[in-house]
Amino acid sequence: MMLKSFPWRWAWLLPAGVVPFVLDSPYFMGQLVIMWIWATVVCQWNLVFGVAGIFSLAQLAVFAVGAYAAAMTGLYLGWSFWLAMLVGAAASVVFSLLIGLACLRLRGAYVALLTIAVAQVLYLVITTDTSCVLQNAFTCASLTGGPRGLTDFGDFGFSSLLGYRWRMHGHYFLAMLIFSAAMVFSSHVMNGPMGLAFRALRDNEAYARSRGVQLFKTQLKVFTVSAVFTGLAGAFYAGYFRVVGANILSTNQLLFVLSMLILGGLGRPWGAFMGVIALMIIDEGLKELVDWRLGGLGLTLILGTLLLPEGIAGAWEQLRLHMKARRALGATQ
Amino acid sequence: MQDLLQVLVSGLTLAAMYALSAVGLSLCWGSMNVLNMAHGAIMVVGGYVCYSAATFLGSGGPASFAMALAAGAAMGALLYLALVRPLRQRKGFETLIIIASFGLGLIIENLILKTYGAYPIAQPIALEGGWEFEQVFVPYQNAVVLASSSLILIVLALFLGKTRTGRAIRATSISAPAAQLQGVPVRRIYLLVMMLSGSLAAASGVLLSTLTTLAPTMGYDPMLKAFIVCVAAGLGNASGALFVALLLGVFEAAVGFYLGVRFGFSFLLALVILSLIWRPSGLFGGKDLQRL
Repeated sequence: MMLKSFPWRWAWLLPAGVVPFVLDSPYFMGQLVIMWIWATVVCQWNLVFGVAGIFSLAQLAVFAVGAYAAAMTGLYLGWSFWLAMLVGAAASVVFSLLIGLACLRLRGAYVALLTIAVAQVLYLVITTDTSCVLQNAFTCASLTGGPRGLTDFGDFGFSSLLGYRWRMHGHYFLAMLIFSAAMVFSSHVMNGPMGLAFRALRDNEAYARSRGVQLFKTQLKVFTVSAVFTGLAGAFYAGYFRVVGANILSTNQLLFVLSMLILGGLGRPWGAFMGVIALMIIDEGLKELVDWRLGGLGLTLILGTLLLPEGIAGAWEQLRLHMKARRALGATQ
Repeated sequence: MQDLLQVLVSGLTLAAMYALSAVGLSLCWGSMNVLNMAHGAIMVVGGYVCYSAATFLGSGGPASFAMALAAGAAMGALLYLALVRPLRQRKGFETLIIIASFGLGLIIENLILKTYGAYPIAQPIALEGGWEFEQVFVPYQNAVVLASSSLILIVLALFLGKTRTGRAIRATSISAPAAQLQGVPVRRIYLLVMMLSGSLAAASGVLLSTLTTLAPTMGYDPMLKAFIVCVAAGLGNASGALFVALLLGVFEAAVGFYLGVRFGFSFLLALVILSLIWRPSGLFGGKDLQRL
């Protein structure tokens, strides 16, 4: 079906692939890498929240588990970071499965409250960790790095692989690759049997269930599998910044990424992407007003829910329908 | 034995504060399905208003406390008028209000941060010293916290159980359309419940700040714990929340005493998750019958 015409779905790859060669600003390149990371996370969150209807707030906890697991594998076992990244993804999947088993028997608001509590507990446990595991002459570091975070666990080695000049390009394309894979996976789920199951449950739950669609099992499956890319993105985050701190588990970070999802439009894969871009631009603007960053984020959340009920993507669809209707009207007159 | 009593003293104090917040949150959920994520921020507002009244106006403890309650009620009204009312008819209201109230909480937190700064401030109305019985130390302030929250909860129970307005609130939470048909001004009841819940948050915030210190983010963890208490009891069940608050407050104090304070929240959450596997709709939640 897609082969009939030009695959517009993949048209974005062209500008995205050209940008790093046209642009020569390290700062902007860095922002683009971060954009791919959040886009991956939001795209998987959309799968869990927008498609499967699980109001989970543990998405960044899953992300952080991936980052921490990868960093700790690199640091304590001395593995290559490429391998550590896979360990990070695997750890995220296990973590997600456990949370899913514990929380998904419940519904809606209960899930939101429990998952956010899990995230906060993880944050508190890490920031108050003052145990002494790594000891050398001057310092004493705890297992999770405590409030200071973890460093020196290696990276992807792009500086030696591609040379200092091109190392950012390596990061950029790796991040883009992870995002593209996450998008392919997400559209696969949405158009596959799982997506159909959720659509059926949403449209008529009684009928879907009587035909044998199992809510818990299907939700658990999506919840667990979406952790692969979330964890991978987390591990990439660790390898890119070469430091992991508990700040990625903070509520402000959670709300920042949540507003990307809400502002973009729940349930629409490209909406998530638009939300990421919109929020990054807003955040860039708010950087001037350092002291009001939190409040600005809060205002974005409120205005997003009040004014854009279906997000940017939803508003865009509405606009297109409207234009189409007007054109049709014009043709008949 | 002394250990046990000491745990009981601090546990009951914790429980009293959780109970105030949890009952307020339960009322909101019970009557209009609002999970108020700005609750923690309202606690902070209560604490700082009390501080400002005592420091800048020179009012005494009770008067400052009353001002904090009034400020909490005002915040509840703001939340209702600005967010709950416009979002009420929308699809997915329960989710939207969580997100929007989170946003409101961030704005409030930011304003407090800009006004008072990030450094912790001591609450001036807190009492110093305490009694010592057989090596068990009971600070005066803990006694004040226990007494005032018990008083507030008793007044609240009488208000909900014995007055006409209280009956209207209970009727609305059982069935809003039925209550409306009987002539209950449902919207005004919603506003009242939000204000009540805001006052309870402020009260809990003031009491919390007398035991620790004032900080712009001090409300967040207690809010999450209060939510966990509500979830364990079954969302919307106010009397169940009171009982579970007592249980979990003492449990957390015991974990804090024997294993270290940093594990308090994690054990609390683990216990609640285990109990939910056993009873998915909470200890006091009725059978979760669903109409499909």
